[in-house]
Amino acid sequence: MAETRVFDERTLRKLEQVMLWSQRARAGAMKGERRSTRRGTSIEFADYRDYAYGDDLRRLDWNVYARLQRPYIKLLEDEEDLALHILIDASASMDWPPAEAEAAGHKFRHAQRLAAGLAWCALASNDRTQLGCVNATGLVSFGPHRGRGHSLRMLAFVEELRTAGEVDLDVVLRGQAMRHTRPGLFVVISDMLTPVNLTEALNELAAAGHELLLLHLLAPDELEPPLTGDLRLIDVESGGSREVTVDAAMRERYTQRLDDWRAQLRRTLLQGGGHYLFVNTDTPWERVILRDLRGMGLVR
Amino acid sequence: MQLLTPLALAGGLLALPILLLYMLRLRREEREVSSIMLWQQLLQDTEANTPWQRLRRNLLLLLQLLILAALVLALARPFITVPAPGSGQIVLLLDASASMNAADVPEGTRFRAAQAEARTVVSALGAGDRLTLIRVAQQPQLLASASEDRLALQAAIDSAQPGMGSADWPAALTLALGGMGQDGDFTLVIISDGGLGDPALLPELPEKVTWLPVGRSGENLAITALATRRRAAQPAQLFTRVTNYGAQDAEVVLSLKVDGELVASAYHEVAAGADLPLVVEALPAEFDRIEASLTLPLASTVPDYLEQDNRAWALVDGGAGSRVLLLSPGNRFIEEVLRSLPGVDAWRGDLAAGLPREPWDLTILDRWQPDALPAGDLLFINPQRGNALFTLGEPQEHAQQIGLDEGDARTRFVDLDDVSVQRWTPVVAPWAQTLIEADGSPLLLAGEVDGRQVAIFTFDVHRSDLALQIAWPVLMANLLDWFAPPGLLTARASLSVGDALQLRPPPGAEALRVRLPDGSLQDLSLARRPLIFADTQQPGIYTLEVIESGAVTRSQSFAVNLFDSLESDILPREMLFFGQTNVAPGAGEERGQLEFWPLAALLALLVLLLEWIVYQRRRGLTLRLRRS
Repeated sequence: MAETRVFDERTLRKLEQVMLWSQRARAGAMKGERRSTRRGTSIEFADYRDYAYGDDLRRLDWNVYARLQRPYIKLLEDEEDLALHILIDASASMDWPPAEAEAAGHKFRHAQRLAAGLAWCALASNDRTQLGCVNATGLVSFGPHRGRGHSLRMLAFVEELRTAGEVDLDVVLRGQAMRHTRPGLFVVISDMLTPVNLTEALNELAAAGHELLLLHLLAPDELEPPLTGDLRLIDVESGGSREVTVDAAMRERYTQRLDDWRAQLRRTLLQGGGHYLFVNTDTPWERVILRDLRGMGLVR
Repeated sequence: MQLLTPLALAGGLLALPILLLYMLRLRREEREVSSIMLWQQLLQDTEANTPWQRLRRNLLLLLQLLILAALVLALARPFITVPAPGSGQIVLLLDASASMNAADVPEGTRFRAAQAEARTVVSALGAGDRLTLIRVAQQPQLLASASEDRLALQAAIDSAQPGMGSADWPAALTLALGGMGQDGDFTLVIISDGGLGDPALLPELPEKVTWLPVGRSGENLAITALATRRRAAQPAQLFTRVTNYGAQDAEVVLSLKVDGELVASAYHEVAAGADLPLVVEALPAEFDRIEASLTLPLASTVPDYLEQDNRAWALVDGGAGSRVLLLSPGNRFIEEVLRSLPGVDAWRGDLAAGLPREPWDLTILDRWQPDALPAGDLLFINPQRGNALFTLGEPQEHAQQIGLDEGDARTRFVDLDDVSVQRWTPVVAPWAQTLIEADGSPLLLAGEVDGRQVAIFTFDVHRSDLALQIAWPVLMANLLDWFAPPGLLTARASLSVGDALQLRPPPGAEALRVRLPDGSLQDLSLARRPLIFADTQQPGIYTLEVIESGAVTRSQSFAVNLFDSLESDILPREMLFFGQTNVAPGAGEERGQLEFWPLAALLALLVLLLEWIVYQRRRGLTLRLRRS
């Protein structure tokens, strides 16, 4: 790609203040900068509960006991780190629109920036971060790493990614589920334009303990195709073709089918405890992170 | 539906090349998309990939096939069988009389309904049928003669206008029957509300007569008479009559305008089918013209479908008639001749009552004279004694040789060869010219004396056979013309719509023109004699103006009214009577062919337009999508 800077300085400064967190805190190997719902030994007060036989008397709040004559145990918040897995779909269909590789609406460029943005935040928060990208040649990955020190290498890795050929996302996702990686937030960035039903694969990932987030990217001309007349449509990913006569009624049915498909994906994700966010590549990528993901409680 | 040229349906085979061209033409444009996954899912449900189904979804192809179908249908000349009034040679008589202005039909007026009927007749003309169109008004008018051209016939029907007077049905039927050929395939079609007048005057009809009646109601109120009468030393008197031709009693408002100013307006009840005569005496002392109008009160529920007979006009004293007073112990010969002369308003005086006080244009003193002679012109007949104007001589008997002054206008065309006079009393009047003499003494003298004209018959007409000769009315007419020069008009001052009248311009007239009721002027050519004016189609007051030395020097008015009970009685007739023949409505119907290929051609044109719009919209949409 001609453009080397995935992030400009201003956006990088904003992202440094953004923290990623998972609604379901997971036990971490190292203390991170993220609060855990497990009450622990940090100095942050969380709550009181009644004393029970066997409790550590050091955690009894003597001041409250002196005032109320009843024993209460002081609960403190524990803090732990987060495991973040990001998987970018680099199939040929993500290289779209073809004439607009440098434009803001390009799907793969959008995916690169979203992935790098999330990873940058995670590294800055000292979370355990792993980045993968899959295309026809196979899966390449970065990490797992932790700490800001890996940020520049991460950016260089992301910038080197390329789209190529067909990708069987079902196989890739099942493979990820079978790997005994540490459970955490698993972010899939893809257009999901694959004829295979991915429900099983997504369920397997959830079963492996991951909290799933699907960032579903579609370009504006996929939402409203600028097509009319008697056409032979050629799939840039598979090379397959399909003859179709597009008129107003056909375009309406296409839009309806697209809405049904997105709704089905959302249901699948929500049923497995995951999250679904549809991203029109017209939307600036930083707005997706700072507004949409924050709105879903995945970024604060 | 049947087809006149069913072979034209073979043109439908052109659909095959159109379909073939479409299949060959259907080369799809290749477009890359990121994925065809969604399109595949979409098409699985809706479209199989067979060529036929692909064609089925093409709107342009469907429209083109529809155009072809409509054109083929038009060429096949489809028709339906309809009742037709006739076939072969058809003469259509379109009633344009005043009653056809009645507005009792949904089309607006009966004449419009008649035009619609006539257009239907033209539409149902078969191949080879020829139609002659005659508009029946005061004079029958030939609008189209034996034409097969439907467009020309329709245009002729559209151009026809209803008249304001009666219709001359005898003349129209005679004209129509004049076009009847020898082959016998002749149909007479009459579109009328039925008021054809006296059946005895109508000619015998051909075998095939179709009457298409128009009109629904007889509800009409009309002014059927309006006249004024000048009275001695009193204001003029007006007589008018309102007639209710309908079946409901009606209340009307009768308004009178005298010289343009409203002088009376009153409510009157007119019973159904009855006349209401009215005499109005409360009129101004002096006026020229009067206009009566009839309106219905606002709350009235009685319809009045014919407006044209709701106004009438009259001129005071009927215009310029010469007022003549006859003072006689009884003279049938003079009375008869005075009654028969136009422009003479003759009255007989009572000898016992003496002379009336008001002035007269001419006083005829037959064998009687008062002590003091009346003012104005005088005509003495066999005076019994002398007076200030003349003296009497000795009576003479048995005139042997009667001669006349042939060069004088007063004796023009008078032939006295066989006339004999038994007894006469010669008159000595130095101022008078002898016009007729017998044996050297005068039988008739005339001249001007003391500023008035005086003529003297020196014999009693009862003692002569002059009154039995043709010379008598000629001589009297010449004398009365000398006493009172004739007016500009030969007819009475009130005419019916469509009446013609002869004009008598004075010798020095440079130009003559008529001011019509609508204010327009019509110049008349003085070169044509006799000078006839017949353009009396509008009811109202007409004024004849004589121009001498560049200015209007004389004028005379006359009123034209629709006083025609045949027209005002608008009740549609149930039967037409022609001598011994009766014609019922719609009788003699035949079967005709109503072609509707123009509809099919119009459909083809409309679909062609639609196809062009669809094509342009698609093209525009494609260009816009490509640009975006």
